[in-house]
Amino acid sequence: MILYEYEGKELLANAGIKVPSSQLLSSPDEKIAVSFPAVLKAQVLSGKRAAAGGIVIMPDSSTASRSVSEMFGKTINQEKVEKILVEEKADIEKEFYVSISYDTDTRSPALSISEAGGTGIEGRGATVIPIDVINRSAKSELIDKNVLNSLVELFFSGDCTLLEINPLVLTKKGEWIALDAKIKLDDDAKGRHKNWAYQQRFPAGKMPTQREIDAKKIDEGDYRGTAGSAYFDLEGDIAVLSSGGGVSLTAMDALIAAGGKPANFTEYSGNPPKEKVVKLTKIVLSKPKISGLWVVGTVAANFTDIYVTLSGLIEGLREAQTELGKKFDFPIVIRRGGPRDKEAFEMLRQVKDFDLVLQGEEVSIAQSAKIMTDLAKKYSQK
Amino acid sequence: MLLNTKAKIIGQGITGAEGSRAAQWMLDYGTNLVAGVTPGKGGQAVCSTIPVFNTVKEAQDALGPIDATVVFAPPMRSKDAVIEAIDAGIKLLVVIAEKIPTSDSAYMYAYAKKYGAQIIGPNTTGIINPSKKIKIGLMGGGDPLKMFQPGNVAIVSKSGSVAAEIGVMLKRNELGVSWAVGIGGDRIIGSTYVDILTELENDPETKVSVIFGELGGTYEEQLADAIKDGRIKKPVVAFIAGEFTASLPSEVQFGHAGAIIEGERGKPEHKRKMLRESGADVAQTIDEIVELVKKNL
Repeated sequence: MILYEYEGKELLANAGIKVPSSQLLSSPDEKIAVSFPAVLKAQVLSGKRAAAGGIVIMPDSSTASRSVSEMFGKTINQEKVEKILVEEKADIEKEFYVSISYDTDTRSPALSISEAGGTGIEGRGATVIPIDVINRSAKSELIDKNVLNSLVELFFSGDCTLLEINPLVLTKKGEWIALDAKIKLDDDAKGRHKNWAYQQRFPAGKMPTQREIDAKKIDEGDYRGTAGSAYFDLEGDIAVLSSGGGVSLTAMDALIAAGGKPANFTEYSGNPPKEKVVKLTKIVLSKPKISGLWVVGTVAANFTDIYVTLSGLIEGLREAQTELGKKFDFPIVIRRGGPRDKEAFEMLRQVKDFDLVLQGEEVSIAQSAKIMTDLAKKYSQK
Repeated sequence: MLLNTKAKIIGQGITGAEGSRAAQWMLDYGTNLVAGVTPGKGGQAVCSTIPVFNTVKEAQDALGPIDATVVFAPPMRSKDAVIEAIDAGIKLLVVIAEKIPTSDSAYMYAYAKKYGAQIIGPNTTGIINPSKKIKIGLMGGGDPLKMFQPGNVAIVSKSGSVAAEIGVMLKRNELGVSWAVGIGGDRIIGSTYVDILTELENDPETKVSVIFGELGGTYEEQLADAIKDGRIKKPVVAFIAGEFTASLPSEVQFGHAGAIIEGERGKPEHKRKMLRESGADVAQTIDEIVELVKKNL
């Protein structure tokens, strides 16, 4: 979960790190209560908002209401501005770039710190210092020790995966103030943070489609296996139902390498009950202009009851046909194996209302991708 | 990790549904699983005959030194279970749970390192050695003979299901496996490709290693460095997946938490390039793996 600046600053303030006096505006009609000079900051998730006009300095109150109205009308990097943070302008003596994030080279969080803050930090380089995970300590002479300790403590106890302040400034009065906050929280830690009541949000310009929203709902409140919690619409004509993280990645790469065009990416795993598979199948096949369906997973599943999931597939196909008033006559390639696969394939051989191609371990993922692609091409040219 | 056949193994949290099923499969395979540990369930038995203790310490007191533990505790409780096992002196821990918070994974790794223990995982299907009949965790499921027969190829994979796929492909070509190891796809893992392959340098069974990597992180790049500077001398065949995610929104997280694009280094093509330059054989498709393995045997 990525936090907006104002949410991040709330966490910083609670952790004892000073942030500017501020006010959060939700509409252009609200009266500005902070003192001038002040800074208007559009609350969007994408970086580089200054270049896009998302940061405006207001020397006095005379231009304030016009600047606020203008900013509320803006779309910054495909995100509509819905909230604006107004802050008192700091009197800067010195700026720093500071961030903490996980580094796979040391397998610990790393503190990145640079004496020059502001935009374009990527190009200027920063000192990277590993953080001692057991003692929760980091050493740097560059910034105030108490501020650093508070940041490290917030990173751990707040289960952040990214904590970035750019810039952290030392004011002329000698105070350390965080002028920005980019915080990413660890979704896997949600269970131990009852206060994480943040609204759902999406990467810039990637509002979910109706199918993506519907697919996500399948798993809600039902922890038996997963189906559809990762679902993305793509541009192609081959619908995909894949199983298992690594196999799904391998399968999608193989399909694209074979010249096939996936209509979606989705996966189900961990032995989901039949009704979940039915629901996901219906969503996957609700797209227009499908030339094929590829049901692909490992032939050596550990847990997933293949008979149950493939029964769910057939049921979903039939329900989707009825609901959409269509006849699915495109090729359906199934490559799967695992518990009860013999029964499953026996059942599938009796299915006469669909054009099924059944594959087991004798066909590799890459070969299956090629067969699927060729059959879909032939179908689309019919 | 290179345990011998007689190694004593316990299971923490194997009284639950998933854990007890895995424990039964381990016993069926011939693994020397000697005890379960679940707080509050001491005195009971799992899989009819395996005694359950309240603590790792109690298990040690009753059965003598334990060589390895498989941790089936839920994600939020795995860290405490790991600390308990390391404090009791266990040197090899296989941590199964997925969705363990990253700060816990980092702590577990640091703690293990401090006390000279090794963690495999988290978010792993575990490890298996067909000739020694050692199966710790879920690798191979209830039918491990379907994919893993004894042989000289090590499989080290971020994904358990791909490890199984590779096992099947090797077996269909009359090749077998020395060790198959799931290292997990999380951002912070207890054992990397370098950690495992460094150990396998001293494993007489292993002649060549196949690694499966995914986009995200730098563990594949670290392996390339280790091959390049001679720390790893046995041949490596690498297959890396995740190309297609370039077409997805970048903040998206998949089943494997590690699969997050992070600059050039995390990209599949970069990993392939680094590995190729280091001297590893890089399979462009999963089908090429077997031929490259044969070439190196």
